Amino acid sequence: MELVICSYCDTVHRRIAAAGRDTMRCVTCGSPIYRGNGDLGAMLAVTVTAATGFLVANALPLLTLTSGGHRTQATLWHAIVASYDTKLPFVAIALTLTLIVTPAIELGLLLWLLVPLCLGARPLAFVAMMAALRTLRPWRMVEVFFLGVIVAVVKLAALATSVPGWGMFGVAVMAAALVSLSSFDLGALWRRAEQVAP
Amino acid sequence: MIRGIDAGLAACHSCELVVRVRDAADDAGVECPRCHASVRFRKRHARTHVIALLVAALALYFPANALTIMYTEQFPERRADTILSGVSFLWARGSWGLASIVFAASIMVPVMKLGALGFLVVSAARHSGWRPRARTRLYRALEVIGHWSMLDVFVVALLTAVVQLGQFARVTPGPAVLPFAGVVILTMLASASFDARAIWDRGIRE
Repeated sequence: MELVICSYCDTVHRRIAAAGRDTMRCVTCGSPIYRGNGDLGAMLAVTVTAATGFLVANALPLLTLTSGGHRTQATLWHAIVASYDTKLPFVAIALTLTLIVTPAIELGLLLWLLVPLCLGARPLAFVAMMAALRTLRPWRMVEVFFLGVIVAVVKLAALATSVPGWGMFGVAVMAAALVSLSSFDLGALWRRAEQVAP
Repeated sequence: MIRGIDAGLAACHSCELVVRVRDAADDAGVECPRCHASVRFRKRHARTHVIALLVAALALYFPANALTIMYTEQFPERRADTILSGVSFLWARGSWGLASIVFAASIMVPVMKLGALGFLVVSAARHSGWRPRARTRLYRALEVIGHWSMLDVFVVALLTAVVQLGQFARVTPGPAVLPFAGVVILTMLASASFDARAIWDRGIRE
């Protein structure tokens, strides 16, 4: 008999199998305890989608600006370099961290964990990688950034004509895929790793 | 209904494995056999941490709202916006939906977080029996909405960087950006430090 304890109210439950994508909730406080979707193959597929969105977001222009005959294509990299060059290092650091570093680490960790598990092997440094993934998750802000791009486009309309580019589509895909990834139960990774453990 | 603390059981905060924790008074906790994290019945010094982080966030809240968050220069015009005037700028341009989203994310959410977390800490410390299920739901809502307040920081960063490329105007971040980001990060840390089980403990253990 496997036990689970609700992290919100400390009620002990017996683990029962969750069907499909069902969320199992605590009988005492109603908080979600674990989910049914432990399909690692599906999780890997969504991770690959997010990684594709990440590449598009970084490579293609987020916006095209037109003002007084000037046309500028703003890719993320150009924007970061420009703000660093003009003595705005905080802006450059904030953009690099949220849109490049944290998603790259999260996607890297997920691929590192999911590819071996799907092939039936235990990933190297599994425990440390799981801990890193868990620590990093609450700080992911790509979805907030996406809303930020929309607000920025509206505010820019006062200064120039701006047209969203393919990079923004990439940000949207990456944000949606990463948000849906957080609905997968990490407990499934622990259980699979115990099954394949040497 | 059995509670973990009564059964001598606790779930590992890192891998969720249920572990037998022998002695509740033992501050070192027990090592999780699966992931080697140390497992305790409750988060350590949760109340002190939450209160300290909330006080720090409250102190930063005032400069964050009173100071300028963004300067915009397009010859011959120059404007300085606070968070609130940025919202009214969007409203005046007719983007009511977006203005409401920014108002909710930048102004309502930080106030609600400070107020709600303060209420949760105080009611739990006083062993309140008032609607524990509703208070737990309130806490879960705080966890979800926490990071959306970063919206304005991203808007300023993006506008600065993008306009820099275009050369047709100048946008610079104002002194309110850092305190504002500080409020968001501190309230996120505060809600992560809160132990929701305190709502249900009713003073079993301090």
